Amino acid sequence: MNVPDPAASSNGFGIRTERVSRSYKMGETIIRAVNEISLDVRKGEFLALLGASGSGKSTLLNLMAGLDRPSSGSIVAMGRDLAGMSGEELAMHRSRTVGMIFQSFQLLPRMTLQENVELPLRLAEVPRMERPTRVQEALASVGLAGRIRHRPSELSGGEQQRGAIARALINRPMILLADEPTGNLDSKTGEEIMGLIAQIHRPSSGEGRTIVMVTHERALAERYADRIVTLSDGGISREERLR
Amino acid sequence: MKIGDLAELATRNLREAILRNSLTTLGISVGVASLVALLSLGVGLQQLVDRSVAKAGLFDIVSVRSRQSAPFGQPGGGRRNPRDAVDVAPPRPLDDAARKEIAGLPNVLEVNPEIRFTAEARVEPVSQLVMVSGMAPSSESSGTLDGLNGHFFSNADAREAIVQGDLAKRLVDVGKAPASLLGQEITLRFAQRQALPPPSDAAPGDPPNRAVGPDEEAMGFSIVPTEKKFRVVGVTPASDSGSGQVGFNNAGIYLPLAVAEKLEVVQQGDLRDISRAAPASGTRYAALNVRVTSPNAVAQIESSVTRMGFTTFSLIDVTRNLRTFFAIFDMFLGIFGSLALAVASLGIINTLVMAILERRREIGVLKALGAADRDVRRLFFAEAGVMGLAGGLFGVLLGWAIGRAIQVATMIYLKRQGVNAPNIWTVPWWLVAGAIVFSVVVSLASGIYPASRAAKLDPVEALRYE
Repeated sequence: MNVPDPAASSNGFGIRTERVSRSYKMGETIIRAVNEISLDVRKGEFLALLGASGSGKSTLLNLMAGLDRPSSGSIVAMGRDLAGMSGEELAMHRSRTVGMIFQSFQLLPRMTLQENVELPLRLAEVPRMERPTRVQEALASVGLAGRIRHRPSELSGGEQQRGAIARALINRPMILLADEPTGNLDSKTGEEIMGLIAQIHRPSSGEGRTIVMVTHERALAERYADRIVTLSDGGISREERLR
Repeated sequence: MKIGDLAELATRNLREAILRNSLTTLGISVGVASLVALLSLGVGLQQLVDRSVAKAGLFDIVSVRSRQSAPFGQPGGGRRNPRDAVDVAPPRPLDDAARKEIAGLPNVLEVNPEIRFTAEARVEPVSQLVMVSGMAPSSESSGTLDGLNGHFFSNADAREAIVQGDLAKRLVDVGKAPASLLGQEITLRFAQRQALPPPSDAAPGDPPNRAVGPDEEAMGFSIVPTEKKFRVVGVTPASDSGSGQVGFNNAGIYLPLAVAEKLEVVQQGDLRDISRAAPASGTRYAALNVRVTSPNAVAQIESSVTRMGFTTFSLIDVTRNLRTFFAIFDMFLGIFGSLALAVASLGIINTLVMAILERRREIGVLKALGAADRDVRRLFFAEAGVMGLAGGLFGVLLGWAIGRAIQVATMIYLKRQGVNAPNIWTVPWWLVAGAIVFSVVVSLASGIYPASRAAKLDPVEALRYE
C-alpha cells in the first residue's frame, strides 16, 4: 500500500476532525454520540478529553483510531482522511499510525507478555528475525524486561498496563490513543502510568508523540496534558489550554 | 499476516481449547476413516477382479474368428460386431494368408492359432475328460502361470504337459499333493483327423465319394481315435473358485502350441469348413489369438481386423463394463463414507462459532492492533484447516486400521469356510492423499461461515464484550 509521508502532508496537525459526527440508531431513535466536533490536535501535543459517561469521548477516540467510521465529517490523521480509507487501509492506520491502550489493558490472557507485545509485529508482517529484539527493547522501556515469559494473570494491574503500552508502541506509531488508562488502577499506580505516558510524550531524547487521552480524572489531565477538551452530549463544551 | 504466523497462531488457539478441538478433530478423523475404509475395500475388490483377469493374460489378447463360422440359425449366427465399420470387407476364410496379414498389423506381437479340443486324460488308473489347449511360448512370461509347480515346457516341440491344479488333484491318488503328478506320464486320447486318399487311390470296392469336389479334396478326412503320451512338467496352483480353469484358453491341460498343432486333432468348425466351397490358402484356422503390445492397442487391432472381414472378441469390452460398475460402486461407497465427514463438518462449524463467542474480545483486540478483516478471516480458516489436516492424517491411520481389521476378519471367516482368502483391501497412495486433501477442503468449507462472521465483528463492540 502506498502511504504518503505524514510529515509532509499533515500541516503540523497530528489529528484533525472537521464537523465529525457519529450517530447510532436504537429502534426508532437516532442517538448522536458525537455531534459535529471540529478539533485540531497538533503534532506532539498531549490532549486530554474529559467528560461524563456517555458524553462521546470514547466514541471520538475510536473514530480517531479508525476502529469506527464517522456518520459524517472527516478525520485526518497524519495527513490522511480516515473517512475515505478502505478497511485494509484503516487496519494499516491502526497498525502503523496509532497505538491504543485501554482501561482494561486488553492483553490476551492466553499469551505471555512477549507474545502479546509481538502480536502487532506479526500483524504488520515484521520479519521474524527482528521481532525478539524489538519486543525486548519495548518491554525494557516500560520496565518489564524481567517479566517477558509471564502471562497477564501473573502480572499486577500496573504491569499489565505497562505491557499494553509496550504493545501499543512496538510498531513505533506517531500517535498514542489512551482510553482511561488509569481507570482500573489505584492512584499510586495510576501516577506511575501517567509518568510513563508523559515520558512517551516528551522523551529525554528523540522525537515525542502526539497523545490523546480520555479520562475522568481532571487532576491527572491538568497535571500532564497540554490541553483539556471537555465533551458534553457529543459536543465540545469547554476547551482549556494549559501549556 | 504471513502464513507462518497464521499457522502458528491457529495451532496455538486450538491448543487452548484442547478437549473441544480434539473431539472435533476426532469427528473429522472418524469421517475420513469411514471414507478410507470403505473406498479401500472398493478399490481392493476392483483390484482383485483386475488381478484375476490380468493374471489370465486376457487384456492384451484379441480372439479372431472367421465371420463365416457361426451359421444363421445358431446363437450369434450372422451377428455383426457393433463396432463393424461400413467399409467392412466381405467374410473370408481364416487361413495362412489372413494370419500373415494380421501379423503385419502395427502393435501385433504374435498371432497364434487357437487349438482346443476335448480329450480323455489318463494317469492309471484314473481317467478324466478334459479340455486341452495349445499354449504359446510367450505365455511363460505373461503371468498366466504365476505360482507354477515345476517348470514351463523345455522347448517348443517337447512332448510335455502342464496340468491345471484342480485337475491334478483328481488325477493323483487320494491324499497326495497335486504336485506329485510332476514327472509322471499322462495319456491323452483324442479324435484325430487323417487325410483321405485321393479318389484315384481308393480301393476298387470303395463307394465313390461324390460329395468331394476338386477344392475340398485336400480337406477331406476321416476321424480316428488316437492316444499320445506326455510328461507332466508343470502343475498350476488350484484356482480360488475350484473351477479348474486358468488362462486365456481355459483348459485343464496345456501342451506346447507347436505340438498341439501337429496332433491334427478334430476341432470345432472342421465340419463347417469341409461343407464350405470358399477357397482357402493353406491351413484354415478355427480361431487365431492375436497378442498385442498393450491393452491400449486392443481397440485399434479389433477395428483393423474387423475391417479385414473377421469378427473379434476381447475382454476389454467386458472389463469396460466392469470398470463402470466399480466406478459407480466406489462412488456410492464414497458417498456413504462422506456422510460421516459431512456430520463432522457441522462439528467444525459449531466449534468455530463457539470460539468466536469466546474470543470476541480477542478479535476486537486483534483489530485494534491492526488486523484487517481479512487477517481475522484467514486466522479462523487456518484453524479449520489445521483441524482438517490433523483429522485427515489421523483419519487415514484409523481407516487403514479399520480396513486391515475387516481384511483379517474376512480372511479368518473365509478360511473357516474352506475358501482361499484373497486380499480384498488396498489403500493406494492416491486414496491417502485424496482423503487428506478432501478432509482439509471440507474443513475449510466448514470454516467459511464462522470465519466471515468473525471477520465482520465490529471491533468497538467486541472490545466492550465481557
